[in-house]
Amino acid sequence: MRKSKSLTPLFFLLPALILMVPFVIYPVFKTVYLSFFLDDKFVGLENYKNVLLSPDIVNLDRFPTNSPPWGALIHNVVWIAIHLPATVFLGLGIALLLRGKEIKGASVIKSIVFLGMVIPMIVGGLIIRFLFEEGAGVIPAIFKALGIEGLAITWTAYPKTALFAAILGSIWIWTGFSMLMYSAGLASIPKDYYEAALIDGANRFQIFKNVTWPLLKPITIVVVAMTLLWDLKIFDVVYVATGGGPGGASMVLALQMWDYFARALNYNYAAVVAVLLTTLTLIPALWLIRRRE
Amino acid sequence: MKTEKMLFSFLLVGVLAVAVVASGCIGGETTTQTTTVEQITLKVIGPWSGAELDAFNEVIKAFEAEHPDIKVEYKTYRAEDLSTILPLQFESGDTPADLIFMWGWFIADMGTKGHVMELGQIINPDEYVPGILDTVTVDGKIYGAPFTAAAKPGFWYRKSFFEEHGLTPPETWDEFVKLLEQIKQIPGIKAPIVSGDSVGWPLSDVTEHFIMTFGGAELQQKLINGEVKWQDPQVRSIFEERLVPLLEAGYFSDPIEWTSAVELWWKGEYALYFMGTWLTGMVDDPTDLGLISLPGVKAMVLAPDYFMVPKYTSHPNEALELAKFIATEGQRIHVGTSSGKLATWKEVTMDDYWEPMKDVAKVVANVESAPDLDDSVGGEWQKAFWDQLKLLWVQPDRLDEILKTLDEKFPKE
Repeated sequence: MRKSKSLTPLFFLLPALILMVPFVIYPVFKTVYLSFFLDDKFVGLENYKNVLLSPDIVNLDRFPTNSPPWGALIHNVVWIAIHLPATVFLGLGIALLLRGKEIKGASVIKSIVFLGMVIPMIVGGLIIRFLFEEGAGVIPAIFKALGIEGLAITWTAYPKTALFAAILGSIWIWTGFSMLMYSAGLASIPKDYYEAALIDGANRFQIFKNVTWPLLKPITIVVVAMTLLWDLKIFDVVYVATGGGPGGASMVLALQMWDYFARALNYNYAAVVAVLLTTLTLIPALWLIRRRE
Repeated sequence: MKTEKMLFSFLLVGVLAVAVVASGCIGGETTTQTTTVEQITLKVIGPWSGAELDAFNEVIKAFEAEHPDIKVEYKTYRAEDLSTILPLQFESGDTPADLIFMWGWFIADMGTKGHVMELGQIINPDEYVPGILDTVTVDGKIYGAPFTAAAKPGFWYRKSFFEEHGLTPPETWDEFVKLLEQIKQIPGIKAPIVSGDSVGWPLSDVTEHFIMTFGGAELQQKLINGEVKWQDPQVRSIFEERLVPLLEAGYFSDPIEWTSAVELWWKGEYALYFMGTWLTGMVDDPTDLGLISLPGVKAMVLAPDYFMVPKYTSHPNEALELAKFIATEGQRIHVGTSSGKLATWKEVTMDDYWEPMKDVAKVVANVESAPDLDDSVGGEWQKAFWDQLKLLWVQPDRLDEILKTLDEKFPKE
């Protein structure tokens, strides 16, 4: 009886396992295996050394004093440093501004902000490309109107601006997610808490600091973790908007993996980048899972 | 009596055996007849859509008319996408189509790996433009066949625009530079030359035109073979003395998405556009097109669309039949449409060409043809080349670094 009980969970897991073994688990192990081989010969960590020392991945000769390229790994880090706080706080700010029924057209504005999330990423990349193109795009037009000629250019064509064009465009796309999550979080906070804080004489800032922000912590954890994952696996937006150029100035790890795979037909180096990316994404994913437990 | 019975039995068995064999043969004949009447379908994958596909469909229609037992189904795939799909499918002994248009270097690579049929039996190299099969030939084995080719002959202009502003095509390099300065002064002009942008190939086409004008087809070939470095003084001087001064003087625009660039150039915001011959099929009035090659041009890129027949096709004989047609008579049909392409099969005559392409065909016929540089090298370097040229276009002062990168990334033997 005890034996059959212990087998029961396995029985329920079996259908999923049957699918996961050939389509997930085997490819994962095969990718790790490939990363240690070159031309069918076992080379240990040689591939990892070559990839990590390549200026395509880390270019310390140019970072941080010169304009990009700084290497795909550094570009991903820069991406996280700008994109993560920007989307978290922009999403929170918009959600705070548009909460409640007192703002007319709040749902329409939220829908517009959320639009970036519902369009295909490839289309998003194309929009970014044209958004930052001199003559056609609104961003260079704004800088031209402000008299800042240095930024009234095609952002995606210049190494100093290409990476930032992709990041800024990505902020527009991803803020909708953050806003939606925080809107849901804000709606779940009971009004009694705010009423009690007001009776105690708390001002708006104190209420935000001591009531809203702590109660939104679970939401913030999810938003931060999901944004980190998005930033690490970013591919399609860059692929379409800049192609990783010019001169590798906006290259990111996922696109570099693609280049090793599809252009260089070097499956071993592609596997190395895949393993690195998976390891990096596992960190926020595991953190998220533990915090939620 | 017993013996008679036995003889009769043998006779009966013999008659029955002959009858069975005879009926089998007759039946077989009937089956064969049915099979020949039954239509088979060949799948073709190519890069074209829209007007380009309409032109290719004319070739397919002609083939189907000649071969009523074969139906051809066409699917559009970008070469970039195929480069990820095909190696995996081939490794598993499968193919998504019976005839596939793809980069020449890729076909050669797949050929050496044993995934592609040899086409020596249907392709006679003597019937083709010299050197056109080099890209798809490895150790004397021809793994791919050429279809029609695009030429990258020079800078296109609108005759009406030149007439309106009193401009004339240049005869010398100095006149060319003077023309660019004249155009720059025209009110409303953003830059004399619009730079097309895509993944990067429009800029590489311009660069190759400069290389072949000042270094000839020989230099282009040596660069392809890796026999001359990008930092070689001869190559460097072409950049330093010819291309970079034009970039620094602002004669080229920043890279603009190449199809948008066609519209802007046609509207008159730019005067010149370096593009392949397919441009003739993209403008409202091809008769208004004029062409300026760099003065003294010695060679031009002739970039054919190559195709292969994967070894895993279910209909090898019919696929080879189609391949032969596309590589020969199909070219005659294709150049007669608005495809803007040139024949690589020498049996095609000037009379076969679409009217607006006849002048271009004559220009190209008078210079040496050379293979496309980045398409021939291919792989990771091709993307690096495109990417570095994008950088050069906006930061020509980084020439040293760019040439060094091109040498470093060049495939090692």
